[in-house]
Amino acid sequence: MADVPAAFPQQARRRGGLLDLAQATEVDLRLFGMVVALLAIVVGFGVATGGRYLEPANLVTLSVQTAAVAIIATGMVLVIVSRNIDLSVGSIVGVVAMSYALLMTDILPGVLGLGHPLMWVVALALGLGIGGFIGGVQGFIIAYVGVPSFIVTLGGLLILRGLVWVLSSGASVAGLDPTFQLLGGGPTGSIGGPASWTVGIGICIGIVTLIAYNRRQRRKFGFPLRPMWAEILITGIGCAVTLGLVYIANSYLWPAPLANRYAEAHGIPIPEGGLRIESGIPWPLVAVLVVTVVMSFIATRRRFGRSVFAIGGNPEAAELAGINTRWTIMKTFILMGVLCGLSAAIASARLNGATLDVGVGYELYVIAAAVIGGTSFAGGIGTIPGAVLGALVMQSLAYGLSFIGLSSPIQNIAAGIVLILAVGFDSYNRRRAS
Amino acid sequence: MARGRLAALIAAALIGSAACTSAPGATTAAGCTVGVSWNNYQQPRWAKADEPAMKTAIEAGGGKYIRTDAQDKEDQQLSDIDSLINQGAKVLIVLAKDNKAILPAIEKAKAANIPVISYDRLIEDASTFYITFDNEGVGTLMAEEILKAVPSGNYVVIKGHKADPNADFLRGGMDKAGLKAKVDSGDIKIVFEDYTDTWRTEAAQENMETALAQSNNDVDAVLSENDSMAIGVVAALDKVGLAGTVPVSGQDGDEANLNNVAKGLQLVDVWKDAFALGETAGAAAIQLCTGTKLADITAPSTLKDHVKPEAGNKAQPFTTPNGTTVQSIVLKPTPITAANLDIPISLNWITKEKACAGAKPDVAACK
Repeated sequence: MADVPAAFPQQARRRGGLLDLAQATEVDLRLFGMVVALLAIVVGFGVATGGRYLEPANLVTLSVQTAAVAIIATGMVLVIVSRNIDLSVGSIVGVVAMSYALLMTDILPGVLGLGHPLMWVVALALGLGIGGFIGGVQGFIIAYVGVPSFIVTLGGLLILRGLVWVLSSGASVAGLDPTFQLLGGGPTGSIGGPASWTVGIGICIGIVTLIAYNRRQRRKFGFPLRPMWAEILITGIGCAVTLGLVYIANSYLWPAPLANRYAEAHGIPIPEGGLRIESGIPWPLVAVLVVTVVMSFIATRRRFGRSVFAIGGNPEAAELAGINTRWTIMKTFILMGVLCGLSAAIASARLNGATLDVGVGYELYVIAAAVIGGTSFAGGIGTIPGAVLGALVMQSLAYGLSFIGLSSPIQNIAAGIVLILAVGFDSYNRRRAS
Repeated sequence: MARGRLAALIAAALIGSAACTSAPGATTAAGCTVGVSWNNYQQPRWAKADEPAMKTAIEAGGGKYIRTDAQDKEDQQLSDIDSLINQGAKVLIVLAKDNKAILPAIEKAKAANIPVISYDRLIEDASTFYITFDNEGVGTLMAEEILKAVPSGNYVVIKGHKADPNADFLRGGMDKAGLKAKVDSGDIKIVFEDYTDTWRTEAAQENMETALAQSNNDVDAVLSENDSMAIGVVAALDKVGLAGTVPVSGQDGDEANLNNVAKGLQLVDVWKDAFALGETAGAAAIQLCTGTKLADITAPSTLKDHVKPEAGNKAQPFTTPNGTTVQSIVLKPTPITAANLDIPISLNWITKEKACAGAKPDVAACK
């Protein structure tokens, strides 16, 4: 085609099928490796359990279990990239979860009246605000007073866990607003069959648009284009995977007790074999999707995100280049607090209340997820989708081990080994490349 | 500048703490100072029930109550007991974090001729007096109630923390209630059984979700070893519409769980009347102060029927897992169901409002 100016000549060397494919599609090998690992785990357990692991109920359940950790992990990427750490995330989740429970059982019914339709909005907004505020306080001490983040967030972990006890006087609190409970997933907490297909098709159209836009921008600025077949391959695989996952979500039907209750409540006669209601994508996964897209956008296309990566790569240079490093760092911790608030909403909705130990241990899973997903403790390197995949890898492994009957201490051993292997493999590759 | 000030502050703190531990202990005129070493005072039960009852019993006998909190750390508890001895304790009541790590402190107490009561958690030493609830009995009681409701079918067993011996005590008790016999005969099939990291609610919820997904929701009963895990179990059942139809067990008498009993979401909550345990330990401490021998210690006659020891009020020998024999008083746990919810309400363990919020109409205690 004569109207395509190629500023750089295409690489003429052919190095053999798979690497050539990887180069043409410009796929991030690290991310691709994670997807392969995830597939290996899922297929492996599928075989080990005679296919039962692959049933929609299991795949949907384990994804919902991942949601709380995955959401926080997206924020942890930015914190670790900027050479900090946040050990207090579990305790922030604990405080906000207890706040949700107390707000919706004690405080808000008094102010708004029981069963107010907007109660969940008020509660959610307050919870995110509390999380953001806590993050802001920690971020201020880290960025402006200069205390190392390890110490500040370690203190936060202890203080906030104690605060949970004080807030609740040592008791667990049960009962949340019914709309808020939808965030907890389960068949009734999902968006249903038709909506799921809409979301799936919407994502597919989004992928096509993004690839087309990307290609147009490259042509406009004279960058080399991916081969057309590669673009079509990526689009095709992306759409296929998306619609395949929607199909799995829709194959998870409402269990008989719930379906029968629904039929009775709506006067629908129950057919042979029970009323067939598709669950669709659970609300927690919708939240994860939105958070992943938004956080990826912030990390790659907003000045705040690029500043974070600049600070992580070389803090002095970033400062000298005019980046307000202190405000940027504080913002990463505020963002963490807000994400913890959202995660706490999911965690407490899942429990329909809050106990004293909600969130305990989250920090370790979150950090492991981010690190397995490619975020380096040296700073400057990390991806948001990687962190979400990392969380999914760990949870699918834990779920599978529990499924085949291996006890919880063994699951912990496996998780630790996976973490070391994943990071070790990555460090080895980096060293080999340099 | 700042460093100099910091050094002065540290020096002052060190001198201050040294002064505290080296001063000779002051004893009251009545002479019976009882030192209590708590393990994890932050857990609601100890502050709410055990401590007030213990303190009342000690002061009623003319003694003085002093305490420390080890904040869930073994080495902290060793220095706590040192501190109690230095403050002049004549008797020690110890809620041990780890029953082996505590032994050096027990040796020190023996050397100082201070009798030790091992409170609720066993200490493997023949010179200690063991006051506890029948932990294995708790497992038996919860299994009995569930077996009554579901004599055959698919069972899920959610156990506690693997390294906590109580988890296995409880499981052994469940077998004794007839679970083992039914499993052997094929009436009951255990479709899922696993330990739960540190008894965490969310971990129990995940275990229960796995159990349900794995068995296609075909579960008829759940044995949960304690209340915080039972909350997670009920939440998982609720997501698939089985809460209220599948009976669940628990232990500890937590407020949210007693309320679940009233709502029909939990079948039985085995409650240990911690008021009675504290009272028994306080009374035993006073007896030890006045020179009573271990084998002659008695439980207070004021103990109510639901908690009185099976074997009577006198101390009984108890054989530990290691084969040691200790003198003991073992109180009865009380299985709370919708039928006898009035017991914890009447003893002010829980208010009627909290227990009965949203209760089913046929709960007698809530009418």
